[in-house]
Amino acid sequence: MTSAVAKPPVLQLDAIVSGYDGLEVLKGISLTVNAGEFVTVVGPNGHGKSTLLKTISGLVPLRGGQISIDGQRLSGKPHETAMLGVAHVPQGDMLFAQMSVLENLLMGAYLAPDKAEIKRRLDEVYTLLPKLADRRNQIASSLSGGERRMAGIGRGLMMGGRILLIDEPSLGLAPLIIDQVYGVIAELSKVGRTILLVEENPARVEDLADRLHLLDDGAIVWSGKPAELMARDELLATYLGG
Amino acid sequence: MTDVLMAILVAGFTSGALYALATVGLSLVWGSMGMLNMAHAAMLTLGGYVAFTVITSLGLPIAIGFAGAILVGAAAGAILYFAIVRNLLKNDKSTFESNVMIATVGIGIALENAILLIYGGQPLKQPVSIAGAFRLGPLTLPWQNLMIIAVVVVMMVVVSLALGRTRMGRAIRATAQNRDAAQLMGVAVNRVYLQVLMLSGALAGICGVMVSSMTQLSPPLGNDPMLKAFIMCVVAGLGNLPGAVAAALGLALLESFVQYALGARWGFPSLLFVVIAVLIWRPSGLFGRAEIRRM
Repeated sequence: MTSAVAKPPVLQLDAIVSGYDGLEVLKGISLTVNAGEFVTVVGPNGHGKSTLLKTISGLVPLRGGQISIDGQRLSGKPHETAMLGVAHVPQGDMLFAQMSVLENLLMGAYLAPDKAEIKRRLDEVYTLLPKLADRRNQIASSLSGGERRMAGIGRGLMMGGRILLIDEPSLGLAPLIIDQVYGVIAELSKVGRTILLVEENPARVEDLADRLHLLDDGAIVWSGKPAELMARDELLATYLGG
Repeated sequence: MTDVLMAILVAGFTSGALYALATVGLSLVWGSMGMLNMAHAAMLTLGGYVAFTVITSLGLPIAIGFAGAILVGAAAGAILYFAIVRNLLKNDKSTFESNVMIATVGIGIALENAILLIYGGQPLKQPVSIAGAFRLGPLTLPWQNLMIIAVVVVMMVVVSLALGRTRMGRAIRATAQNRDAAQLMGVAVNRVYLQVLMLSGALAGICGVMVSSMTQLSPPLGNDPMLKAFIMCVVAGLGNLPGAVAAALGLALLESFVQYALGARWGFPSLLFVVIAVLIWRPSGLFGRAEIRRM
């Protein structure tokens, strides 16, 4: 866990509204993620967690409110959002299935300024996720679920962004693999990465997150420290089924 | 018997090389954009006429004729993007595939008729041709066929290197495999679409020069190779580039053998028979993967 005292905000959401076709999913969400902070949004399935991250990265159009990175308002175009330093690790990894692990990582560094910077980031990712170095020439579609998740995180790190958006990293993985994935996320937090993570199970982030928001039906219904939420049985029972 | 077999093989490989060039252009656009470019045939014809004009009317060297066909083909791809594709992409994405197909049918007809108006309907001789043959013992290999195969091989190597080794190529492949993920990495997919249409147009242009060098220039020049290229795309699996090349060579050899054994009129029906059989046996094509759509 990192201290976020007096750190400037990296990401600011101001009453954002978004959704799909006629369906409004996010209904006026405001939150801030400061530099080096680890913020988590928890909530049940189908209540807008993934939509929140997709709206920030521009995959789902913003209908109201505004989103800023380092004080700069986002255009809503995904590639321009990436240029401003938003690295989104989406649910289900969304790897380039027919590319090798290395090519996937290089795609993460698509906006990197030069080859030296790409090499620096690649070395950093291989140090943190050594299995990716072993699998560098393997086609992404042949990776196991845990390896795919690691590759997705590695590709996000290759973007070298200001903030890492991580969508349900535990989804569909065996408990042992989930521990490994969260071990990597804990390392990232320790070295001061700014992270916004969405997760269904608050227990996963209890010892990691600096702050936590509870999302229900597209709105934030509670905010505080993870330990405070875990002590509130009535909140857990009402919103997360105990 | 050996020289007959060699003649069939040379004819098959030459046709296969030409079909591969046409097929790769079509497949590239389909694979990365989900767009069936029905104007591809007209772009191919345009390339042939541009080379003819540069070499015959302007009196410039053949190499400039090739370059002109490539440049005008690429420019036609860019115009297609800015005039049609970019605007259709702004609408509902679910209607893009059908709308762009109808729009490019119209563009193709308009372009073919424009060529008819400018050059007339009389067949013209493409000056890009090499007389004579390379003889090796009993084997006779026409220089024209060897030139076509060599040009196509060079183009395939260039396309492979461009797609496999360059940043632009990686962005094209990434967009083809997962458009949303590519955008998250910072890829401007509209720029990728423009690049793909320009690359496909350039390939169509050079293909037009090659095809017309084997036959004659006429406004519907591109229709036959386009139809066969489409069959080969379907047999390979739409959007699969290596598969498209393999299908083009395989089917062209089959066509040559059938034409020799059963007569020229059975060549095209044999291709249709193969495509029907493949669609029954493997609806996604020989090298394609089944697409699962979430409803």
